[in-house]
Amino acid sequence: MNQELISSLIHLMGMLFLVSSFAMIASPQLLSCIRFYAMHSFFLAAITALVAYGSHVEHLYVPAILTLILKTWVIPQIFFRLIGRLSIRRENDSYINIPFSLVLATFMVFAAYYATGDLKVLNPAFSNEFVPLAIATILIGMLMMVTRKKAISQVLGLLLLENGLFLMAVTMTFGMPLLVELGIFFDVLVGAIMMGIFVFKIRDAFDGIDTDDLTGLKG
Amino acid sequence: MTIFGLLSIPLVFGFLSLISPARKLVQLFFVLGATVLGAGGWWVVLRFSSSGRIFALNENLMIDAFSALFVLIIVSVGFLSSVYGAGYLFNETEPAIPTAKLRRYAFFFHLFLFTMLLTVCSNNLGIMWIAIEGTTLASAFLVNVDDKKSSIEAAWKYLILCTVGIALALFGIILVYYSVASGAAGAGKEFLHWTFLMEKARQLDPEIMKLAFVFVLVGYGTKMGLAPFHSWLPDAHSQAPSPVSALLSGVLLSCAAFGLVRFHSLTQVVTNSQFSGNLLILFGMLSVAVATPFILRQTDYKRLFAYSSVEHMGLVAVGFGFGGKIGIYGALLHVVNHAFTKSLLFFTSGHLLYYYRTKEIQKISGMIKKVPFLGTIFFLGVLAIAGLPPFSIFVSEFIILVSGFIAERFVICAFLLFLLALIFAGLLKHASGMVFGSGEQPAVTKKSVLMNNVLCVGIILILVSGFYIPNFLSRLLEGASQIIQGKS
Repeated sequence: MNQELISSLIHLMGMLFLVSSFAMIASPQLLSCIRFYAMHSFFLAAITALVAYGSHVEHLYVPAILTLILKTWVIPQIFFRLIGRLSIRRENDSYINIPFSLVLATFMVFAAYYATGDLKVLNPAFSNEFVPLAIATILIGMLMMVTRKKAISQVLGLLLLENGLFLMAVTMTFGMPLLVELGIFFDVLVGAIMMGIFVFKIRDAFDGIDTDDLTGLKG
Repeated sequence: MTIFGLLSIPLVFGFLSLISPARKLVQLFFVLGATVLGAGGWWVVLRFSSSGRIFALNENLMIDAFSALFVLIIVSVGFLSSVYGAGYLFNETEPAIPTAKLRRYAFFFHLFLFTMLLTVCSNNLGIMWIAIEGTTLASAFLVNVDDKKSSIEAAWKYLILCTVGIALALFGIILVYYSVASGAAGAGKEFLHWTFLMEKARQLDPEIMKLAFVFVLVGYGTKMGLAPFHSWLPDAHSQAPSPVSALLSGVLLSCAAFGLVRFHSLTQVVTNSQFSGNLLILFGMLSVAVATPFILRQTDYKRLFAYSSVEHMGLVAVGFGFGGKIGIYGALLHVVNHAFTKSLLFFTSGHLLYYYRTKEIQKISGMIKKVPFLGTIFFLGVLAIAGLPPFSIFVSEFIILVSGFIAERFVICAFLLFLLALIFAGLLKHASGMVFGSGEQPAVTKKSVLMNNVLCVGIILILVSGFYIPNFLSRLLEGASQIIQGKS
């Protein structure tokens, strides 16, 4: 494959990456939200692999494969099982309605582009366009965490945020040292499992997983 | 080898207590592990020369004087807390906690100690990040031991807030890595090593470093309990069982401060300015100021101590921000003193909860008559944390203020003194209500020798360290102060 093709492929993947984060915000059902997360991670893995191939950074293949296995398969499977066993209403309850969250998400993409637009100090190893994209993903992840009621959707928002950070690391510096990268994967996996366990505990104690109910501690 | 040995102790004993069949055996391994770790940690620290560095794993792990100081705190408070926990959680008479749960508790307790040790022993900033995230994951289960609504809520908040905060810190680390990868020459493997970064500080971009520091400040500041990111702290500290609260407050917050200070000294060397110091002073002052009204109007004594931790972490940040040899020395000494004093107070809160079965300040009075031993230690502990001489906290607060005057930050020092006086009054008001007056006989008066001994050891420690700082400790403090200033 020639460089031109690879570079346009990466851009296509980047666009799809952004589209799938919007899809996560827009999906009214928890299950579809998880599927879009899997898609999101798939595009992330694709970008990583393409960067590794295009720029001859061999050590990036390891995180690409790990992303493919862990984030597009293992973690979504954990969540599917979780929802299956929780037997709860599967709507993706939100404090603000979906059209408005989409407007806010669009605003965040603009904000990310605006904020990084004239940052002379950042001159990434790979491509300029991915820094605002990564920051937009981080912001959308945060938006999802603060506007969603269900504990699971908050965890999904956190994972979305983490994907944004990962994209940032890959495109700015061709990834972190492998040892660190592996540790981060380990933390994400353990964190996801841990939060899954706590979602169960919340369900048992509060008869539901709306974090609205978690207001006992004040002062 | 030394570092690997030290790090493997809590892992080994954690697994041993996870697979022990009998309750007594779990308890034995639980305490034995912390004892061995305590002995090992002190052995490492005592034979450690203040200027030296021990490396392991391709220089990814390192112990210097700064880390050695924190190893000392972790293993000492860890030991006290496990002995206390052995009396507090393993008692048979009360609504006894099932053995399966205790097994898991002992395991996560040791895992928590391991992650904290890894935090302070890592030279690689990435590994340090992983370890700090690990402390959150390991301690979330410890916060929620009894599966009550309130403890689940506290643990969930803790997990989510700290994970998001730490994710932001990762952003800062990526920026540092980017800065060094694009600027400095060398092998890629050592790019995140703190020692390497300090050597190559000139080649790093100051602007990016400033940006990175802001993200790390928010990230590790969340974990350290700096206002306005502290909202998880009072919940988690008040809901956790007392031995865990002691660890969270005394050691975990200090470990986060450790990570932040590593970045602070790096930023200071790279930018050659007071940028990071000023930010530390700002957020430190904010923490003290935010904690003050909550201390004055508090109704729950565990939350009272938790807000006092916010205040003291603020003071530590201010001390590091003032900088200079004296400021850093004072801040480090304050970390040590706060670790011992606050863990003592959380141990007494365990006693209080055991005797009176309530966390409300209003419902407790006349401790000095009904439970004189506990009443005395509690009152002395509160006086110590409020900063009354001759206790050790007074010494370090005084040193921090002196360094502020040397740095000619008079307005900040005056404001700080005013807030400290308010906090002093608030703490004293609450404590005198609880200790004096005519009170009712507590429901239970059965004593546990183990738990009482821990209180005695704690009060002796903070009394003695107010008068006398042992030789090795002052050597470590000075060595660490040199390292933070980037002079070695």
